[in-house]
Amino acid sequence: MAETLLELSRFKMHFHTDKGVVKAVDGVDITVDEGEIVGLVGESGCGKSVTSLSVMGLVPQPPGKVEGGSIKLSGRDLTRLKRKEWQRVRGNEVAMIFQEPMTSLNPVFTLGNQMVEAIRQHKEINKKEARQLARETLQEVGISRDGILDEYPHQLSGGMRQRVMIAMAMVCRPKLLIADEPTTALDVTIQAQILDLMRRLNRETNTAILMITHDLGVVAEMCDRIIVMYAGQVVEETDARRLFRNPQHPYTIGLLKSIPQLDRRLERLYSIPGNVPNPRQMPSGCRFVPRCEHALDICREKEPPLFSLEDGHTSRCWLNAEEKEEADRDTTGNTAPSS
Amino acid sequence: MLPLFQIGSTGQGSIGETAVFQRKVGEIVFAYTVRRLLMLIPVLIGMSIITFSIVHAIPGDPARAILGDKATPEAVEKIRTHLGLDQPLYIQYFEYVKGLLQGDLGESLITQRPIAEEIGPYLAGTMELALLAMGIAIFFGMNLGILSAWRHNSAVDYTAMVIALIGVSMPVFWLGLMEQWVFAQELGWLPSNGRIDPRLGFEPITHFYLLDSLIKGDFYAFNDAFNHMILPAVALGTIPMAIIARMTRSSMLEVMRSDYVRTARAKGVSEFLVIYKHTLKNAFIPILTVFGLQMGLLLGGAVLTETIFSWPGVGQYLVDAINNRDYPVIQSGILIIATLFVLINLIVDLLYAAVDPRIQYGKE
Repeated sequence: MAETLLELSRFKMHFHTDKGVVKAVDGVDITVDEGEIVGLVGESGCGKSVTSLSVMGLVPQPPGKVEGGSIKLSGRDLTRLKRKEWQRVRGNEVAMIFQEPMTSLNPVFTLGNQMVEAIRQHKEINKKEARQLARETLQEVGISRDGILDEYPHQLSGGMRQRVMIAMAMVCRPKLLIADEPTTALDVTIQAQILDLMRRLNRETNTAILMITHDLGVVAEMCDRIIVMYAGQVVEETDARRLFRNPQHPYTIGLLKSIPQLDRRLERLYSIPGNVPNPRQMPSGCRFVPRCEHALDICREKEPPLFSLEDGHTSRCWLNAEEKEEADRDTTGNTAPSS
Repeated sequence: MLPLFQIGSTGQGSIGETAVFQRKVGEIVFAYTVRRLLMLIPVLIGMSIITFSIVHAIPGDPARAILGDKATPEAVEKIRTHLGLDQPLYIQYFEYVKGLLQGDLGESLITQRPIAEEIGPYLAGTMELALLAMGIAIFFGMNLGILSAWRHNSAVDYTAMVIALIGVSMPVFWLGLMEQWVFAQELGWLPSNGRIDPRLGFEPITHFYLLDSLIKGDFYAFNDAFNHMILPAVALGTIPMAIIARMTRSSMLEVMRSDYVRTARAKGVSEFLVIYKHTLKNAFIPILTVFGLQMGLLLGGAVLTETIFSWPGVGQYLVDAINNRDYPVIQSGILIIATLFVLINLIVDLLYAAVDPRIQYGKE
């Protein structure tokens, strides 16, 4: 079994605004093992981006504030780091690529300048060696043309820029790469290339990847394990195969139902009714209750914990509690009639 | 947009081609500069017509100004004929332009000396003062703006912006007088007027006193000239400083929100480099525009500052000329200032391309 690389436990990141406290991330437990690809899924505003930025220490504080819990990277708590210590972690141990390759590179510096800067921030080598390393890393991501280091970002296409971003992130061989919707802004063929590239780098360098996305297709293709977030909390976690075959949480079920399927003809595509709750006024009980088709009385009264199901599958839903009790009765009492 | 930087994007680049390509860029910039300089011609023609008309619309007669109130009408008439003032205006204008085309800026009606010769020291005085004032304005203005953008919405930000507001709304003459009162009169730290202590008997070469004293190796004179510059430069630089501070702040704030600044932080780049490298260079274009405009304004001569500090600059020179109805001096003086203004804006435009590689000139 691989060692645990990243461990968020009961992590809370709240934003203190004039209009009240926004609990963007509210008690999240996430682990990523070495070399693993984990998908973090959820719709806009569920807190997945804030979670990832927290791991990088890139949430502006204030207004953000860590209200509890910890982020441990190889056992070290990142929430206690000082600014200088953060600078040694970022880009070195954890690197990040972003959604918008078109705007994520600095337009007024050459690619060489930006890559060499990333390298020399963490490695004590001279400029020439750094340029050589930059060139090699760009070759690894499939850019091998001459003179690339002297070009500016505006001379590259979106797909190429995302490759450069990946090269820049990978150049110091981080243990963890956080990819925040890396393919959302790209067209489909380029998406596939970028995903292939990331998977290859994962295999070759054993860099773990935390993939933030709302695209379940990407997750199905890439990830070993999937974590579903809703309204600042983890609602379901399991391996990729099981999530698509046997989703437990009604929110996950709704998400999966809203993907168009080639073999099914539907008049209208399913969509989960209602909207994400206002983060300043979370509903009492389960946060998904206003949109849930199966809501019970207990769902409105009491917030469900994460229930552990078999093989590390967890789900934050009272329905699972009942099933679990039934299942327990089945195995212990042997009284239930077989169906 | 057509890619100017063909080499890299075709993927066939080599060192030899890059050299060729760089020479090409040089040629393009040169062609652009020449074109901009040619565009100066219509600007100057327009300027000369406007100044000529306005100057001649000023009530009063140079002949009377030369001879004084008690002159006889005959004497006045004689002078007018001698100066060509009895000719119709359009003839006077063409005479003037004819002179200009031959590189002759004309002669002062009062001193009878060539303007080209006479204006030099004043222009040098104004430039020297303007450069120091601009240096002060840029250094303090930019850092104030950067600081308040970096600590956005904090006490530091508010303090910096209040300073900028005071700076931009304080009348120059009042600030100048206060400076003289406090630092020259009461504390006696700095001289209150002039360019240099006349007792030094300093003989200028280029009329840039700091430069001249360095050429001569006269450090005492350098020190004295510099001390003379401090108070007027601060008075002159205060408003540009405040404008630059405000422009820097808003431009920095906008850039700080951008994705590539977040990328820089994600790479582990230090906060200092994030601000002074990644953000500032991107925020620099609007700041540069303000530099150019303010520098142009300062070169026009700051009449108030020059008057208060008895600074012999073009502002003073032109005001004297206006009082004396010295037509050629007013016309040529304004023409020179307009040319400088256009040249500074050309330099600023060329610098844009140096700051931002996406800005390219020379494409039709």
